Formats: sequence, C-alpha cells, structure tokens
Amino acid sequence: MIRIIAFEAKMNPSVALPARRISDLLSSGLPARAKSKREAMDHPRTDPDQELVKRTQSGAAAAFDELVIKYTPRLYGLVYNMTSNHEDTNDLLQDIFAKAYKAIRGFRGKSSFYTWIHSIAVNMTLNFLKKRGRRFQLSLDDVDASVQNDKEFLELTATSSPVREADLSELQRRLNEAMMKLSEEHRAVVTMFHIQGMPHAEISKILRVSEGTVRSRLFYANRQLQNYLDEFRKNPVS
Amino acid sequence: MDEFNDSEIARLLRLKRYEQPPPGYFENFLHEFHRRQRDELLRQPLWRICLERAHSFITRLDVRPLASYPTAAAAVFVCAAIISLKIYQQPETARVALQSPPTLSLPANAEGELNLVAPVSMPILRTQPVRSFHESAQTHRAAPPRYVLDSVPVSYEPTFRF
Repeated sequence: MIRIIAFEAKMNPSVALPARRISDLLSSGLPARAKSKREAMDHPRTDPDQELVKRTQSGAAAAFDELVIKYTPRLYGLVYNMTSNHEDTNDLLQDIFAKAYKAIRGFRGKSSFYTWIHSIAVNMTLNFLKKRGRRFQLSLDDVDASVQNDKEFLELTATSSPVREADLSELQRRLNEAMMKLSEEHRAVVTMFHIQGMPHAEISKILRVSEGTVRSRLFYANRQLQNYLDEFRKNPVS
Repeated sequence: MDEFNDSEIARLLRLKRYEQPPPGYFENFLHEFHRRQRDELLRQPLWRICLERAHSFITRLDVRPLASYPTAAAAVFVCAAIISLKIYQQPETARVALQSPPTLSLPANAEGELNLVAPVSMPILRTQPVRSFHESAQTHRAAPPRYVLDSVPVSYEPTFRF
C-alpha cells in the first residue's frame, strides 16, 4: 500500500502526502499498531474472576459462593429464556453450578470463567430441552412493573398497534410462544444476542461455532419470529 | 406496516429482560445450592467420597512434572531390581534334603538286647519318614525333617535288665 502511495505521489504530486504523515505511517503507525496487537496477544485480557477461580481450585468453597452470587442472575436469564419455565430453570441452574463446582479443578483458564460457565449452562440447557421435547407448559415469571417506564416499551406502544392493543401478559405469552417455536440452537442464539446483549464473538466462543454461523442463525431466527408474530400483529387480542 | 421488522423484534425481545423470578429468589438460591450439595454428598457411597477426595488430592498435587523420563526410568530400574532379587532368593531344596540322611541306623547292640529279653521275636521295624525328604524340604524349609517312630507295645518292653 505504501508502495502504491509513493508511486502515485511520484506520478501525481497532488496526492502526495505530507512528509510527516508518511514518516508517521512508516515509522510509528503500522509498527505501533502491530506492536500493540502483539502485546495484546502476549498479555491477553485478564479474567476478572481469576482470583476467585484460583481460590476455589485451592479448596476455598466461599470463593465459589461469590461466583454463584455473581452469575446467578445472568445465567437465570439465559436458562429461563431458553426454557420458558421457572421450575425447570431453577433445577437446571442448580445442576449447572454443581457441575461447574465439580469441574472447576480442571479449568485451566484457556477461556474466561464467564465463557466457561456460559458454555456449561448452554450445553446443559440444550441437552435438557432435547430430552424434554415438546411436552411442557409455560411457567412464566411476572413481568416487572418497571417495564411501563422503559423507553423502548414506550416507543413500541407508541408505534406498534399490536403492542399498544395487547395487554402486557398477552404480549409476554405471545413472545414466549414464538420463542418456543424456534429450534433450541436458534433460541439459544436469540437469547444470548437479543435478550442478554452478548456480542457475536462471545456467542461463537460459547457455542464453539463460527461467527458466521451465529449471524446466519440469528438471521434465520428473526425471519421465523417475524412469521410467528404475524398472527399477533393481525390479531393482538385473542 | 405489514410485519414486525428486525428492529422491532429486537426491542420486543429485550422486553423479556423484565421477566423476573419472585422476590428473594436470588438471595435464597445460594442456600438452596448448599442444601442440595449436602444432600448429594450424603447419598453418595463412602468409596465414591474417598475416590473423589483422592482424585482432588492428586489433582492439587499436580504430579505431571514428576512423570518425566528419568522418573519413569528410575521406577523401571527399581521394579527390575526387586523382581531379580525375588528370583535369586528361591530355596535350594536339593541341598536341604541331602544334608540329613534318609535312613536311621540302630546301635550294634540294640538288636541283641531285644532278642534276649523279648519272649516273642519282634522284628525291628525300620523307621521310615512319613514323607520323603524331598517333599518335606519343599513344604517345611526351615524346620528339620520329622519322623514318626513305630511304637512298641508296652508289655513287650523290657522292664529289668539282668
């Protein structure tokens, strides 16, 4: 690229870059960027849970308690939105932490604890859902009343007629039913991306698939959700 | 508007964050976790608990650096030495059997004395070992060879000597 710039500058003096900029590009810019990238590779981002993990591995059960307290709300959201059943979520979450506690001695820190425990949670939930099949009942948690003050909810009720016309519990039921119509893998991606707000890269690490696979699953799931929610759009109050 | 677009679907799904478990659920979760852990521990058989403890101990010890080539070679050498020692300490059965003569000889005058006193001539029975020396040496290496002497009836024993 530098060669091209130099060639163009020779041919056409108007495109010539100021000498300082070129020298910056040659001396500091690229090597600095490469250096920082190398440094980032040499010293990967430290895991914020590293200390707690090490203490747990050395036998301090209290350290694992701290990890449980820290990750319970987040993992609850993940499992609940994949199962749409509070009781199943509770049992699964207990099993997930029990499994993590047993396996933590073998955790070598190749990934962050966050990724590791999310992988356990997703895999166990997927296995559970495959065993459960289609015979289940929704057991939904109550929607927090503070949703009425949510900016996005207010925007939706202002712009979308079905959301405005349906009451909150009806909207919740329709959403969960639509989610349950997705395959387990698509539901997992939708939950992590749309509900939990995880980036594609993190989801790909957790599911051990490529980012492209994550994106394609999201695209496909969105199309399906559009179809499933079409009925809700046509008939907001059933 | 024909259908929900991607942005609306994303916003609708984000509303699911407001679905929350009953109040106090997260506070009690840890207690419930501890209770289940205890219950599970009590249900486990003793051998499994011991196995898990041993496994965790070994994992904590991190024996992988010890399992290097010199250690393995030393272990093989020690095993070979023990086995060779065992082989060379086999008992020498033939020599034990030869050291003690198989027959017993009576004194020269013993036969005569018996002939004089005994009303009925009694043949002196040759004493024989119950088992052969070879057998005996194999089973009782440390102990001397044993014999059972044939007993002579009391009435035929000479009480007085003239």
